[in-house]
Amino acid sequence: MTDPNPTFNTERHVKYYLRCLKTFLPSAYTSNDSNRMLLAYLTLSGLDVLGVLQSKTTPEERQGYIDWLYHCQLPSGGFRGFPGTDFGSGKRNKDNEAWDPANVPATFFALVNLLILGDDLSRVKRRECLEWLPKVQRADGSFGELVGPEGSIGGPRDLRYCCCAAGIRYVLRGRSETGLEGVPDIDVLGFISFIEACQTYDGGMAESPFCGHTYCAVGSLDFLRRTSNDMKPLPLLSAGSNQSDALITWLASRQTAQLEEPEEDEDEKQLEVTDTGSLDDRVRGLPNVQPIGADTISCAGFNGRCNKYADTCYSFWNGATLMMLDQYSVVDEVRNRRYLLEKTQHLVGGFGKGPGDPPDLLHSYFGMVSLAFQGEAGLSPVDPTMGSSERTVRHLESLPWWQS
Amino acid sequence: MEGEYSTDPEWASVTPIDLDDGSSSGAMPLATIAYPAEYLEATSYLRAVMAANEMSERALNLTKDVISMNPAHYTVWIYRAKILFALDKDLNEELSWLNDVSLKYLKNYQIWHHRQVLLSSKAHFPTFPPKEADFLMEMFAQDSKNYHVWTYRHWLVRHFRLWDQPRELEDVEFLLKADVRNNSAWNHRYMLRFGPRDTSLPDAGMVNAGDLSTAPTEKGKLSVVDEDLVDGELKFAQEAILRAPENRSPWWYARGVLRAAGRGLAEWEGFVSGFVSEGAVKSSHAVEWLADVFAERAGKEAEAVRMLTMLKEKFDPIRKNYWDYRIRKLDQAVA
Repeated sequence: MTDPNPTFNTERHVKYYLRCLKTFLPSAYTSNDSNRMLLAYLTLSGLDVLGVLQSKTTPEERQGYIDWLYHCQLPSGGFRGFPGTDFGSGKRNKDNEAWDPANVPATFFALVNLLILGDDLSRVKRRECLEWLPKVQRADGSFGELVGPEGSIGGPRDLRYCCCAAGIRYVLRGRSETGLEGVPDIDVLGFISFIEACQTYDGGMAESPFCGHTYCAVGSLDFLRRTSNDMKPLPLLSAGSNQSDALITWLASRQTAQLEEPEEDEDEKQLEVTDTGSLDDRVRGLPNVQPIGADTISCAGFNGRCNKYADTCYSFWNGATLMMLDQYSVVDEVRNRRYLLEKTQHLVGGFGKGPGDPPDLLHSYFGMVSLAFQGEAGLSPVDPTMGSSERTVRHLESLPWWQS
Repeated sequence: MEGEYSTDPEWASVTPIDLDDGSSSGAMPLATIAYPAEYLEATSYLRAVMAANEMSERALNLTKDVISMNPAHYTVWIYRAKILFALDKDLNEELSWLNDVSLKYLKNYQIWHHRQVLLSSKAHFPTFPPKEADFLMEMFAQDSKNYHVWTYRHWLVRHFRLWDQPRELEDVEFLLKADVRNNSAWNHRYMLRFGPRDTSLPDAGMVNAGDLSTAPTEKGKLSVVDEDLVDGELKFAQEAILRAPENRSPWWYARGVLRAAGRGLAEWEGFVSGFVSEGAVKSSHAVEWLADVFAERAGKEAEAVRMLTMLKEKFDPIRKNYWDYRIRKLDQAVA
């Protein structure tokens, strides 16, 4: 545990992802059945970031995966999260289509998966998908997850859907309107308003600020910024604004040496307070804070909220958000790396959520990408907003509707 | 295969629809899961009743079975809600079942959204059912920082306009008394005190979020300030700070309160200075506060740098790069 030169065990990680790709995931993943498109993304992108997707799969396999992704596409545009809602061809009608809807996050991840596999998106129902997108947007600018019965918008008011919707728009609208005549855009200004209103008093984003949602908020705006050359600067993304300063402070404050849930009594440690005497006297009576020697802390991960302990995936959510804001340099990279490699990297490959936890796809991927942000040897550079290799983004930008 | 449904006379009239994972047409499925046989069977019947848009008692029971195996299924909940309303079921009964499911699956988005869909029905719940607050406290007894429960409670406050209901603040104070570091409880308190009450505005925490025409400097500030309320909240934060001076939550709560009121950090300079003297620091957050006060004051930049350096070298080595970044920004401002 005190290895001064911890290593990223590439070979074990490759094995872990190949096992996830080519054999059945354990039954415990059944509760994640509806997120198969996300699990597919974590697996494919994992192998892509490791740089072995091409060498460890055959062209036939990759074509088979592409065909499966299109198998999840709906005739009316957009993608399902898993084939489990599909009644089979011929059975779909106006009365039951709400039970087999296109899903916003699944559509985004399906597109990313196709790009990772090198597909040219020519079979994507681009026009239909972009026509569907405004139907999932609410009057307040936010996005739901799907269109439910009677055209209702299903799913909570949630920044995750906003980010995925902005991602779909980014991938499919691109820089050229060719072929999209008459296709209405989403309400971009309302969308921006909603995102900006989500910043809370302590700088984070969402009702109860939490760094996964903070990532989604910043990612949403970054996706918009990438396709619009004439957009006016957004305070949240503009260095030096109050909003951006507060956000950076909040993000930097998430790094922590608290790696596990503290013992009960430690967590509840509070001083006995006497309310006699003046305020100044009471302050003077407090114990001194002991300085912390820099050499006493070797590992520091990230938490998702104030006063919580570290979790592997937050090294990604916080780090990626700082990357989008061009402020990754505030991170203590050495201690983050040691946290991931010494505390949550698993012997069989992959990463767990915390020290000693078994690996799972989500934490394995986000732990690894956090290291990729820091230039870990053997890992491909990752685009923080797309959450996939920079190679994927270059491929996207070579598609026809990106040629302006 | 002999299954629970295939051998049940109640289901004899239904032809299940098997999972089509695409492999028959040559596709290679991704993220394949070793599904338990019971799940495969139950979902094949679910597809069949969904395809028929069946609104029935048996379909309702089937959704319960599928939810027990996959509570994150995104259409089964919507389908269930539709049946509940179509059959005019007793929603209080549904809530009590939901209580058990929620206590079993502590981290699940869909369960809480379903609850929100039920409580949204003005016909069934014209006013706030007080039992809700009791159940939420039961959830908080399991995990007082549960994100889903807090988000739901935030929604309840806005939907039923509960900002000034004594119970809300009482529960927050109870939870803060048990754990003064519960940042979610601090957030909720802020929303009760200062959150936007115009429910046509985005459902978020920002005070006066406004629209695109609102000047950035005005966002986050109350348009009407109740100075007594503000003073009371600042006093509340001070008492919490005295109980745990290294707890970040009340320090940032106080910053938020001052910002909403349009009052500056300097107002607390006297209080905060008491925490910082040569050789004796009572809270690193006080050092940060002073750094921010001095950074805003002409001629005091060197003092600000001294504070930031103290944080970097003595109290917060993990954030060395961040404190250096703050020092650089000050240097640039002076230069």
